[in-house]
Amino acid sequence: MIMFGCNSSSSDDTTKEAEQPQAAYTFVSLLGGDATAIDASDSGHGFSTPMPNLTSEELDKHLTGDTHFETAFTTAPNNEHPDLDGLGPVFNNQDCNSCHQRDGRPSTITLAAGESRVLLGSNAGIFLRMSIDDGECLAPSVENNYCKNVGVDGFGTQLFHRGVLKARDDWQENPFIGQANVYLSYEYSTVTYADGDTVTLKKPVFSIEKPYDVDVENSLNSAILQANVRYSPRNGMPIFGLGLLELISEADILALADENDSNNDGITGRPNWVFDPVKAKNNDPIPVSLGRFGWKASTPSVRVQSLEALRGDMGITNPLFPEESVLNTPLHDSYLARTGFVDTGTDEQGNTEATQQFSDEVVFYAETLAVPARRNINDESVIAGAQLFTQVNCTGCHQPDFITSTGKFFVGGLAAPEVLKGQHIYPFTDMLLHDLGEGLADNRRDFTANGQEWKTRPLWGIGLTKTVNPAAGFLHDGRAGDVEEAILWHGGEAEQSKNAYMALAEADRQSLIDFVMSL
Amino acid sequence: MIFKKSLLAAAISALVLTACGGSSSDAETPTVVETNFSFEATEMITNLTNDVIVAGYQNLNDGAADFLLATQNLVNTPTDKNLALAQQAWKDVRVPWEQGESHIFGPVDALSIDPHLDTWPLNTSDLEALLASQASFSADELKTFNDDVQGFHTMEFLLFGDGVEDNEKSIDEMTTLESEYLSAAAEVFKTYTQSLLDAWIVANDPNDANSPAYKDLLLTTNNDIYASQLGVVEELINGMIGIIDEVGNGKIAEPFGSNIDNIDTSKVESQYSWNSLADFTDNIRGVQNVYRGEFSGQADKAGIIDFVNAADADLATRVDTEIMDAIAAIEAIAGESDLPFRQAINDADARVRIQAAIDALSTLQTSFENDVLTKLQDWQQ
Repeated sequence: MIMFGCNSSSSDDTTKEAEQPQAAYTFVSLLGGDATAIDASDSGHGFSTPMPNLTSEELDKHLTGDTHFETAFTTAPNNEHPDLDGLGPVFNNQDCNSCHQRDGRPSTITLAAGESRVLLGSNAGIFLRMSIDDGECLAPSVENNYCKNVGVDGFGTQLFHRGVLKARDDWQENPFIGQANVYLSYEYSTVTYADGDTVTLKKPVFSIEKPYDVDVENSLNSAILQANVRYSPRNGMPIFGLGLLELISEADILALADENDSNNDGITGRPNWVFDPVKAKNNDPIPVSLGRFGWKASTPSVRVQSLEALRGDMGITNPLFPEESVLNTPLHDSYLARTGFVDTGTDEQGNTEATQQFSDEVVFYAETLAVPARRNINDESVIAGAQLFTQVNCTGCHQPDFITSTGKFFVGGLAAPEVLKGQHIYPFTDMLLHDLGEGLADNRRDFTANGQEWKTRPLWGIGLTKTVNPAAGFLHDGRAGDVEEAILWHGGEAEQSKNAYMALAEADRQSLIDFVMSL
Repeated sequence: MIFKKSLLAAAISALVLTACGGSSSDAETPTVVETNFSFEATEMITNLTNDVIVAGYQNLNDGAADFLLATQNLVNTPTDKNLALAQQAWKDVRVPWEQGESHIFGPVDALSIDPHLDTWPLNTSDLEALLASQASFSADELKTFNDDVQGFHTMEFLLFGDGVEDNEKSIDEMTTLESEYLSAAAEVFKTYTQSLLDAWIVANDPNDANSPAYKDLLLTTNNDIYASQLGVVEELINGMIGIIDEVGNGKIAEPFGSNIDNIDTSKVESQYSWNSLADFTDNIRGVQNVYRGEFSGQADKAGIIDFVNAADADLATRVDTEIMDAIAAIEAIAGESDLPFRQAINDADARVRIQAAIDALSTLQTSFENDVLTKLQDWQQ
C-alpha cells in the first residue's frame, strides 16, 4: 500500500511538470527579498514604506530623510526658515515630492477640451534636459571631459522653466518664470492589432517661449532655440528599491552586456560609463563609474542622483554640488545684483544651502525604501502571463533577478547599509542601455548613451503605479497611459518582442499584462 | 549477480521508505490555531467613501465658498467686523481640510491640490515683494504664482499677521492691496476645492470627461487602481497611520524639540492664527471619522471599527478609546490658561502635557501599525 501510494504521487508530479514548465519567477512574492514591504503592497502607500529589516537607528535616519524629501524650499532670504531657503533662483520644482509623488511617478499633464497646449507649472513633474549636439562619445577620458554633455551657453544642461519671483530681469512683467516658458502639447497615432483591436498612442511635444536671453521679438536668436540644441524630456521615476539596485555587483551587470550581439538574439545591452562626482571629489584619478540610475543610466549612485537633483531641479546647493547650476550665467549675475547678493548658494561661512547631514539623510531615505510585494500570484491569467513574458523574450532586457553583493561594499563613497546585502531581488531589469528605436528616441547623447538608447526600467512595483498616483504615466516622458501603451512604444532591439506580443491572441495579451501588473 | 540486485533493491526501498516517512510526518503536524476572519466590507467602503470622504470634501468646498464670500465682503466693506468674520471663515474651512488629512490619497495628490492648498512654509520674501511691486491682483494671475504664496497659510498670514506677539490683526493694519490679494487667493482656493470634489464625484481627470469618478474606483474594485477591496481597506488604514505619525512626530514633536532650550517656533504650523491645536485635534478627529464611519455626533454607521471588530472585538474597542485619549491629550495641551501651541512649547508645565499628547499618539500609531494593519493578512475575502 505504501509503495503504491508513493509511486502514484511521483507519477502525478512528473506529469504536472511535463504539462506546465514554469518560469522561475512565476510564484515569487518578495521581489525585494528581506527588503520587501508587507501590508502596504495593495494601496497607495506601496512605494513609501521603510525596509522592514532596518535597525532602530537606521529607521530614525530613514524617517528624517522622509521629512526632508517632502520639504518645500523657499526663496532666500527666509529669516523665519533659514534652513529652507535658497530655492532656485530658477528651478523645476520646489520639493522632491512634486516629481516623485508618494515616492512614485508624477501626474501626466492632460489637456482640457479645446486646449491645444498647456504651460508647465507647479503641477508638472517633467522637465527638459538639453545640450549641444557634439556627436558620439564612447570612451570617457580627461581629454573629452569624461563624455559630459556640453551645456547651452547661458543656460546649462537643464531647462529650468520656473523661478522665484525676481528670477529674471523682466520679473515685473514675468513673475515666477524661469529661464523660459515650456508648453506641452500632444501628437496622436493609432496602433491596430491583427484582430482589429486599436490603441491610441500620444506623444508629448514641447515648445519654448520667452527665453530670458533675448527680447520677445528676437526669440529665435535665443541660444536654446538653435538648430544644434538637443532636448530630452524627463519624467520623475519611483524611488523605492534603489539601494538594492546599487548593490547589484558591476560584474553581474556587465556579464549581461552583449555589445556586439554575440548570441545573435538581436539584443545588445551596453553599459553607460559616466562621470562620478564622488570619485572626483575624492581625487580618484579615473572619476568614471558604471551608470545605474536615470533614464539613460547617467548617474552612478543614489547619492549622485539625489544630490544632483537637489541642486539641479530645485536650486539647493549641497556639499557634493556646492555651486548653483546657473552660476556665472547672465541670469544669475543679474539676479544676484537685483536682490543684494543674498542667494549665492553659500552663506558667509561657506556652508551650502543643504548641509552634509541633510544630504546624507535624504540619500539614505532613497536607498532604504522597501520594494512592494507582488499581488495576485495565484491568478491563472497571471501565471500564464509569467510564461508568456519569457516566451516573447521580455526577459531579454527585463532580466528577472539578481543577488545583491555581500561583504564590504561602498556606494556613493559610503559603506552600504547591511540590510541591502545578500538579497535575492527581482527588479526585472538588466541595468543596461538598449536601442529602443526611433519612436522613443530623444536624439540626445547622455555620456556614452546615444539618442536612441534607454536603460531598461525596473518593473518591480509597476502594478501599483496607478494606485500610488492614478494620474501617473509610463516611459521617459509619461506618454504611455498604461502598460499596454508602453509595450507598443517599444522598438529597436525590443521590436521583435513587441511584435511577438502583438501576434498573441487577445486573451494571451491580457495575461501578459496581468503578469506585469502583478509585479 | 544476486548480491548486486539485492543492493539496488535495498537502495530503492530505502528511498521509498524515506519519502513515505516524510509524508506521514506531515500528516501528524498539529493543527495551527485559526486566526482568519470574515468580513463583508462593501457597506463599510460605501459608507466611508460617500459619507465620510466625499461628504468631507463637500464640506471643504462649501467652507471655501463661505470663506470666499467673507473675503469679498471684506474687500467691499473693510471693517473690523468683516475682518473678524473672514478670520473665522478661515478657521471654519480649516476644519474639513485637517480632518480630510486622514485620507490624503487619490486626486488631492494626483492633481497636486495638496500643495496648492496647504504648502508650508510660507514664502514671506516673495509675498512681501509682490505686495510692494504690484498695483492689483486677480485670481487668474495668482494661479500662475508658486504655491508658497498661495493657499491656507498665505491667507492666514494676510488675515492674522505674523503671529509673533498676537493673532489679532486690526483692519487698520490691513492694506487694500492685501485684502485684494487675500480675496484673489480665496477665489483660486475655491477653484481647487471644487476640482477636488469633482474629481471624486464626476471624473477623476478633470480634462477627461470619460474618466471614472474616483469614488467609483473604491466602490467597484478590480480596476487599475484597486485590484480588490483589500487595497481599499489597506489604503484607509495606512491613511490614518500617516496622519497620526505626522501629527505626533512632525507637527508636534518638531517644534517641541528635545528640551525647552531646543524649541523651534518657526516650525509651528498655523502659527499666524494660533490655530495649531485646533488643527491637530481635527487631524485626529479625521482618524476618528474614518475609524467610526461617521462624523462626530452623527448616527452610527459602518467604519474601520467594524472591520477590526470582526477580527478582534477587544482590539476594536481599545483603538477607539486610544483615539479619544489622543484627542483629549491634544486638547489638554492648552491648559487652564488656554495657551496656544506656539507659546505652550516654551512653557515648562505645558511641555509635560505636550509630551503626554506625543505619547498618546505614539501608542495609537503602534496599535494601528502592529495590531490593526496586520489583520489584513488574516482577512478572508
